[in-house]
Amino acid sequence: MLDLPAPDMAVLARRGAIVRALRTIVPDGVISDEATLTAYDGDALTAYRQRPMVCVLPQTTEQVSALLAYAAAENIRVVPRGAGTSLSGGSLPLADGILLGLSRMTKVLEVDYENRCAVVQPGVTNASVTRAVQAAGFYYAPDPSSQIACSIGGNVAENSGGIHCLKYGLTTQNLMGVELVLINGERIRLGGKHAGDGGLDLLSVVCGSEGLLGVVTEATLRILPKAQATRTLLIAYDSVRKAGETVAAIIAAGIIPAALEFMDRPCIATVEAFCAPGYPPDAEAILIAEVDGMDSEAEDEARRIGKIAKANGATSVRECASDEERARAWSGRKAAFGAMGRLTPDMLCMDGTIPRKALADVLERIAEFAIKYRLGCCNVFHAGDGNLHPLIVFDCMKEGELERAEAFGADILKLCVEMGGVLTGEHGVGVEKKALMGEMFSDTDLAQQERLKCAFDSAYLLNPGKVFPSLHACVELGHMHVRDGRMPFANLPRM
Amino acid sequence: MQRIATASEIGIADAVRHAAETKTPLEIVSGGTKRKFGRPVAAETMLDVSAITGIVKYEPEELVITARAATPLAEIEAVLATKKQTLGFAPTDWGPLFGEPKGKATLAGIVATNASGARRVKAGAARDHVIGCRFVNGRGEAIKAGGFVIKNVTGFDLPKLMCGAFGTLGVLTELTLRVTPAPPRVSTLALRTSPQEGLRALREAAKLSLDPTGLAYIPDVFDPDETEGGTGGGLALIRVEGSHAPLEDKLARLTARFAGLDTIVLDDDTTRILFRDIGDGKFLLSRNCDIWRLCVPQSDAHAAVEASGARFWYADWAGGLLWLGLPASEETATQLRFITKKFGGHATLMRGDAAARARLPVFEPEAPARATLTRSVKHAFDPETIFNPGRMYKDL
Ligand SMILES: Cc1cc2nc3c(=O)[nH]c(=O)nc-3n(C[C@H](O)[C@H](O)[C@H](O)COP(=O)(O)OP(=O)(O)OC[C@H]3O[C@@H](n4cnc5c(N)ncnc54)[C@H](O)[C@@H]3O)c2cc1C
Repeated sequence: MLDLPAPDMAVLARRGAIVRALRTIVPDGVISDEATLTAYDGDALTAYRQRPMVCVLPQTTEQVSALLAYAAAENIRVVPRGAGTSLSGGSLPLADGILLGLSRMTKVLEVDYENRCAVVQPGVTNASVTRAVQAAGFYYAPDPSSQIACSIGGNVAENSGGIHCLKYGLTTQNLMGVELVLINGERIRLGGKHAGDGGLDLLSVVCGSEGLLGVVTEATLRILPKAQATRTLLIAYDSVRKAGETVAAIIAAGIIPAALEFMDRPCIATVEAFCAPGYPPDAEAILIAEVDGMDSEAEDEARRIGKIAKANGATSVRECASDEERARAWSGRKAAFGAMGRLTPDMLCMDGTIPRKALADVLERIAEFAIKYRLGCCNVFHAGDGNLHPLIVFDCMKEGELERAEAFGADILKLCVEMGGVLTGEHGVGVEKKALMGEMFSDTDLAQQERLKCAFDSAYLLNPGKVFPSLHACVELGHMHVRDGRMPFANLPRM
Repeated sequence: MQRIATASEIGIADAVRHAAETKTPLEIVSGGTKRKFGRPVAAETMLDVSAITGIVKYEPEELVITARAATPLAEIEAVLATKKQTLGFAPTDWGPLFGEPKGKATLAGIVATNASGARRVKAGAARDHVIGCRFVNGRGEAIKAGGFVIKNVTGFDLPKLMCGAFGTLGVLTELTLRVTPAPPRVSTLALRTSPQEGLRALREAAKLSLDPTGLAYIPDVFDPDETEGGTGGGLALIRVEGSHAPLEDKLARLTARFAGLDTIVLDDDTTRILFRDIGDGKFLLSRNCDIWRLCVPQSDAHAAVEASGARFWYADWAGGLLWLGLPASEETATQLRFITKKFGGHATLMRGDAAARARLPVFEPEAPARATLTRSVKHAFDPETIFNPGRMYKDL
């Protein structure tokens, strides 16, 4: 159910003047005609659509800063948007809001091999960071499956992961600094090419803040030298449980694979029909395990994983013999989403994380839910870190299917929390999961998080209606405006 | 000084609520080994949380440990060692730098100061390993944030914000950290060379895809065999990890890369002790001097050292962290902040007497817009400013 803040009629009434004012800030980048705005009416959470009041595509940080200062002064809501691939409705526009698209800020500003980092604008796609440095033997580690489309600004805002984040970390571990524009238009720098920051680690909350705290206009990313060797194993099982047990055993043996991915039978069948990656046709489940490092290291770990897999009942263990074979093995995994998409008009991609030991139990329960809700579901997930991606297939046009799909998804996420896990491992809360936040956090916990939001944006203008189940006015939460850097209660004795 | 001691989260919440009502500032103390790190706290009342100890849950196959906040680091490391695991950021023991005994550090103290050792170049800092926590905010409310699984983006990442906040945002009561398999073997290739060449070699080593887990430079002033003035031949230390064959491979590749330089290989034990000492600040400890820590981009390390004028110094994190034996004086503060302005980065007074720490900006001064934000964030957690007032900044 779409539950966004009620539009501010006073703002909508001024739409013409607002569009004119925005044109003075970004002369060549204001979209206000309805037809073009429709192209910006949502993100990859396709069930929800909302046309923005106006869309602005700035090209410089100065423009972003002027635009936000204007919005703050005029009390207009702003939704930042990168490439619009969010699966949680993070960049879903507001009817009375400015959609601030960063897609024209696409420069790689600097590559610095001495400090092993790249400085980029927010609209640069994830994949083009690696492209900019790969000739020199480097890459950017976080690799969401959407990497050819999604933007670095969006990655920072969602703290995106990928198949290699068990070993190499999420975005937050690979983000060294940002330039952030606050809602009042002020620009601040957090981190940089150096380690850490002198004061409070504000970068750590900006990363993953889903566009609620500020607009990222520049990011400094850590780049890594490519490993000497990579080895990839395709492992098949006749039971889901055995695959789950293998995952636990690999970790228990002290191996942190570069990637460890799982697919169940429905998923294997779908991708096989889509792009024929050559997965064992009769398997109930497969694991793709990848290890990297020195030649000897990768060889040693691949051998040990093969042994562990067999000891845990694998029906076959095949090592990819060439880069082509490896690419083929991965093609199925990476296409899983698209392959499912071809079979169904609509799809919900869930994203809970669970303790690895609960894998088999959770998958059994998901199968039961699928029967209960009479909907199809297939499972592909980052097994190494317990991050599930059940894909629920449905048809919005069919009476009641969206509601059933959402109830199915909610049951899965509640189950994840019940098992000691969390609602979202990498896709963010957005609008999709905000109503479920109470499953994980008490009202007091959430009020504390909202107070942090108020510290950055006390008028609640940046991306309101996302993440939190209900909107509180900041004054209600006890927020006090800090002016000119002076603390309230400045009369307390201090040294 | 008044002391409130409590062994439970509820007890802490009660004490904090009372303190907030009466506007009584509190100095939060866990192990107490780093009380002299940061500005002197303007509080007459100590909130002693050292009894909040014990491992709550350790699940080796999940790579996660949850412990009550004041659990001694030594206890955690010992338990992890039974399953051949470790904390990947090599937490440091800074007690002796402040005249306190070794081995007394607690988890909360490590997290609150983001105390990360040599492995940071590869594995990140404490903040990269903390995945969940419970804390009491300045209203006396017990708050849960983060979770118990490594991959989690549900809500703002408050556990990371607690890292390096020096207890100014909340009283930590429980922490969940990811753990890492312990390296089977470690070894170090040491190159004898000048600071400039040595620091360059560290950066070269970092580009070689050997996953070095320590990159430090120790100048010859610390070499007991050197005469006064030195020969310009300190040691660039490149630490690598792995099981037997990969480790030999890595050393071979490094040796080939730096052929022509005077090299020696340090064994497992020596490597472990040496890098622990590097993280713990041991080289400057014996010098009895004041200590600053300067973070700059790695490629500017040599220029920064030169500009600082320090005679006793050494580098960790491939030059990204410089330990400097320099006086806790206005001149040093000005000079170091001139350097951070020029190269980017930050300087922190790590050890100095109380008067100097009260007088000088111990932490890097913030630009105005950022400083305002910091104060708003502080207010969001601790509206009456009762937690460790003055510890990080004079008015906060
Ligand atoms: C097929 C497919 C596969 C995917 N696979 C993965 C995966 O493997 N791992 C994963 O983690 N995610 C995955 N995603 C989700 C999505 O790609 C990521 O969340 C991505 O980071 C979003 O980037 P974006 O540029 O599209 O951001 P958008 O969707 O435009 O925005 C996402 C959020 O970021 C905010 N935002 C965007 N830019 C900025 C900025 N400059 N400053 C401040 N806030 C900003 C928006 O307000 C919004 O809240 C997948 C999505 C699809 C469609």
